[in-house]
Amino acid sequence: MGLLGNKDKSDKSAFDGGGIVIFSDVQVAIQGEKTVRGKGLSVRLVAPPPELRMGCDLALEINLVEQGIIEILLKNENIPYVKIAPLKKGTQELLNIVKLTDFGNWMMVKAGNMKLTYDRRDGRIVNISGGGCPDVPYLNLQIVGKRLDEAPRPRDLGYTLCAMMLDVALVESLKLWRGGKRE
Amino acid sequence: MKLLLVGTLPYPDFPLTCGEVGFDGDELAVGGRKFSRTQGTGAMITAALTVTNYLKLSPPKVLVAGDTGEGKGTRAMFGYLIENIGELAPDYLVLHYCLPIMSLVKRICQSIDVAKKPVFLIADAGGMYAAKAAKLAPKFDIFTPDPAEMAFLADPAATHPAYVSKHLFAQDASKVPRQIEAAYKNKDAAKLLIVKGATDYIAENGKIKFTLSEPDVPPLEPIGGTGDTITGLVSGLVYGGYRPLDAAIIATKTNRAAGRSVNPTPATLVKEIADAFPAVLDKYLSEWSKNPAA
Repeated sequence: MGLLGNKDKSDKSAFDGGGIVIFSDVQVAIQGEKTVRGKGLSVRLVAPPPELRMGCDLALEINLVEQGIIEILLKNENIPYVKIAPLKKGTQELLNIVKLTDFGNWMMVKAGNMKLTYDRRDGRIVNISGGGCPDVPYLNLQIVGKRLDEAPRPRDLGYTLCAMMLDVALVESLKLWRGGKRE
Repeated sequence: MKLLLVGTLPYPDFPLTCGEVGFDGDELAVGGRKFSRTQGTGAMITAALTVTNYLKLSPPKVLVAGDTGEGKGTRAMFGYLIENIGELAPDYLVLHYCLPIMSLVKRICQSIDVAKKPVFLIADAGGMYAAKAAKLAPKFDIFTPDPAEMAFLADPAATHPAYVSKHLFAQDASKVPRQIEAAYKNKDAAKLLIVKGATDYIAENGKIKFTLSEPDVPPLEPIGGTGDTITGLVSGLVYGGYRPLDAAIIATKTNRAAGRSVNPTPATLVKEIADAFPAVLDKYLSEWSKNPAA
């Protein structure tokens, strides 16, 4: 799956964690995740430890033994980070639950706290709901009315955890509409 | 009496603006600038303004700024609120869509304490997330969570609804009463909670006082903004002098009745439902006001 797709078997077997990269905001954390994962390293998006939380923020759990290479990767790609530190108790994983509700001609896909509803006949996004961060109404204006395969990705336009969860809902919706099976 | 509604708007260039809000055709307007009645702050303001117009009260003031998620508008809006709370002097203050920055909501609460004028505090969306995460929930009079947000309030470790523990995440309405209990026990609930869902739960000071499941209108769930309108309705009603519990009950009844009246599909827009509020208030408010819980 998409943004939160850290669940394949190879990931699980290779992932010991133990380290955390702290970023200044959610969007930079997403860039960092894409960059590190793109080089074949195992990572997991998590909440920063409690003493570093601002309210809506995101960190990257890494294998601490890979700290050196990850520092180089992030620096080479000009992705700023606040610090890399050993992982402390209290780190939380993102809620990664997807639920479907069938409304006949419409399908509602709920990912965590966000919901996206599309018309099954033409794939058009008809509504989004849930969430409370400022990019949610903005994403509403940007994607409602567009077809699932033509809409911009919420993770590319948004900055917050709500946008991330909406991105998961969009990816799942697209997969369903194209006839694919959910993972 | 003053009602101040604070929230971000989904336009990157909308400047920080404070003033009385009004309808302008199909849109809302403040300080000569228009904005839409879409999901989020726009839907909440629409509902509050509909109530104040219906009750013939002075319209709410709004404090708004453009923010597409990066937080610039949130910081400008909250900075202005903190600096000018004495002059703005709201009796009722609603914190709605914003980047949930705990430190800023803490400073808002501190500035209210310093001003020494009691303020009735309502929070939803990012405003509620920040208030809960900063452990300030008991200072608030009303929170209006949906079931996912209720799970967030029930999880003492979560700082955002995206981090709620899986075992607490509501997959059915039956979990909501236990979540309400947990949120009050952990001091992560406002004095009154309106949990907006297939069944609406209204709890006050730790006890569930009212539930509402009828009329059952399932397509309201996917329609973005149908929770925001409840926040706006209850804000307008408490500003109009209704007791918080009565206002909460009437708000949930009004939202459902308006939803049913437009025979919605999942593709209906929230403004179509908001357009039905005046007719619903006209038909039922007098009756509901006599005995809200009937």
